[in-house]
Amino acid sequence: MLGLSVRAPRDIAASSSAPRVEFRELEQVWFQITGTLCNLACRHCFNSSGPHEPWLAGLDVETVRRHIREAETLGAREFYFTGGEPFLHPEILALLADALAVAPTTVLTNGTLIDDPTADRLTQLAAAALYSLEIRVSLDAPTAAENDAIRGRGSFAKALAAVRRLVARDLYPIVTATEIAAPPGSPSLYERLHAMLRAAGVARPRIKILPVLPTGRCESRGDGRRLTAGDLEGFDPARLQCTRTRAVAAGGVYACPILAGLPGARLAGEGLAAALGPTALAHPACSTCYETGIACGNS
Amino acid sequence: MRELLSARRVALLGGVYSNHLALEAALADARARGAEAIFCLGDLGGFGPHPDRVFPLLRDAGVTSVQGNYDLSVAQGAVDCACGYTDPRDTHFARLSYEYTVRNTSTENRRWLRALPPTLKVALGDTRLLLCHGSPRRINEFLWETTTPNGLLERFCRETESDLLCFTHTGIKWHRALPSGRHALNVGALGRPENDGAPRVWYTLLTADHELSVEFVPVSYDHETLAREMTREGLPDEFVETIRSGWWTCCLESMPVKERSRGRY
Repeated sequence: MLGLSVRAPRDIAASSSAPRVEFRELEQVWFQITGTLCNLACRHCFNSSGPHEPWLAGLDVETVRRHIREAETLGAREFYFTGGEPFLHPEILALLADALAVAPTTVLTNGTLIDDPTADRLTQLAAAALYSLEIRVSLDAPTAAENDAIRGRGSFAKALAAVRRLVARDLYPIVTATEIAAPPGSPSLYERLHAMLRAAGVARPRIKILPVLPTGRCESRGDGRRLTAGDLEGFDPARLQCTRTRAVAAGGVYACPILAGLPGARLAGEGLAAALGPTALAHPACSTCYETGIACGNS
Repeated sequence: MRELLSARRVALLGGVYSNHLALEAALADARARGAEAIFCLGDLGGFGPHPDRVFPLLRDAGVTSVQGNYDLSVAQGAVDCACGYTDPRDTHFARLSYEYTVRNTSTENRRWLRALPPTLKVALGDTRLLLCHGSPRRINEFLWETTTPNGLLERFCRETESDLLCFTHTGIKWHRALPSGRHALNVGALGRPENDGAPRVWYTLLTADHELSVEFVPVSYDHETLAREMTREGLPDEFVETIRSGWWTCCLESMPVKERSRGRY
């Protein structure tokens, strides 16, 4: 562990001047399944997850199942399970099975808890399902030294071992990296990760790169800029994932997974249908989403 | 309003991707099997050689087409094909393909592409069909078999008042009966093989008898000649390999894990 603090991200100031975007249709439903409980404490974690005193609680089984059923009736396209570390949830495998019975499902993990028995169970789940089970394993750099400086000692070796276990079972995880450790002037992070994975014997490397978000432990990296109504002139709001995404977390339903748990971003206390109204783009992370076109989903 | 087709049997063609030789073979095959009407679900260009060669074939055969994302981009002179790729390697190959296709599509054919409708609603017997390229809501939405849930398909059917949704875009065929009794059908693609190690391609026949039947039809064609044409035109070796081997070599990152695990790369 890195011994970093686990304080809550700053809440969104309720501002009437923040521009609002209309909701389009429900495509992605995210579950903040373990809240901010994680066995790592990465230096750039956007929601300050960690092993001690998580500021956001996890979800109970019935809450998840209720929202899965509702998402099906609303015609949602896919489910995502995130945290924190989802494999710390005692019922994660049962909940993945429930979700896969309804729609394609992705779980975002640091990989450190995926041992052989867990990989076997995931293989069984995937084989039994009509829909795809995608597993995203976080690695932020192609070397242990660079990665572990961000994610904690030993995390590179454990995550790479998980990737190999999953590849050996034809589950082909998506290695997900942020640009936190990409040295300027070097070959792209994508190319370096690709080469590392191939050298490590990983067939068919699948890689997703995400920008660093100015929230959580990286709040100080941003300039604090917030969007204004003028920013949306001539801009297609469909590029913003909050027009088609909702996140279920302790306390209710939120605009997107980045803002999950922040009271100012809560759209409804219970139920997806009640949370399909407009979203206020009030957080500095909304600027990142606006500028980079970030897609937290797989594509 | 839906046009009620007088036909009993219709052929549905997926992405042609400039594969004029496969198109020629499929049109002949469909006529031989008694197809009285033929529809193409868009993406006439991209990937293959000599994009202008598919247009006279479609017009002469009386094929009715809807617009694909490639067609829209080529017609508008857009910056890219809007295929929906996000991976850098996929984007690289998509750019090569798109630039070649735009460079070699005539002004007249671009005008023709611009006029294509995004969707068509027709009736075959008692069955109400919705024909589109990606999905009813988005021209470049990938509706893969393993990432398209029944709840979404049922919603599309309700919203479009359809019994059978027909689409392409992914390049791999599938058909599913939904719990409500409605159906979803990815008609496959004519332009390139479907990542199964065989160079043949596929189209779909619908036949209205007592009930509607769906049949996927394999099409063998002179893929060696097409491969040589592609090489002469300077198209990437990776594309040529796909035509010869039947395995996809690029544009794989949008593919879900289940479909991906069935391929070679």
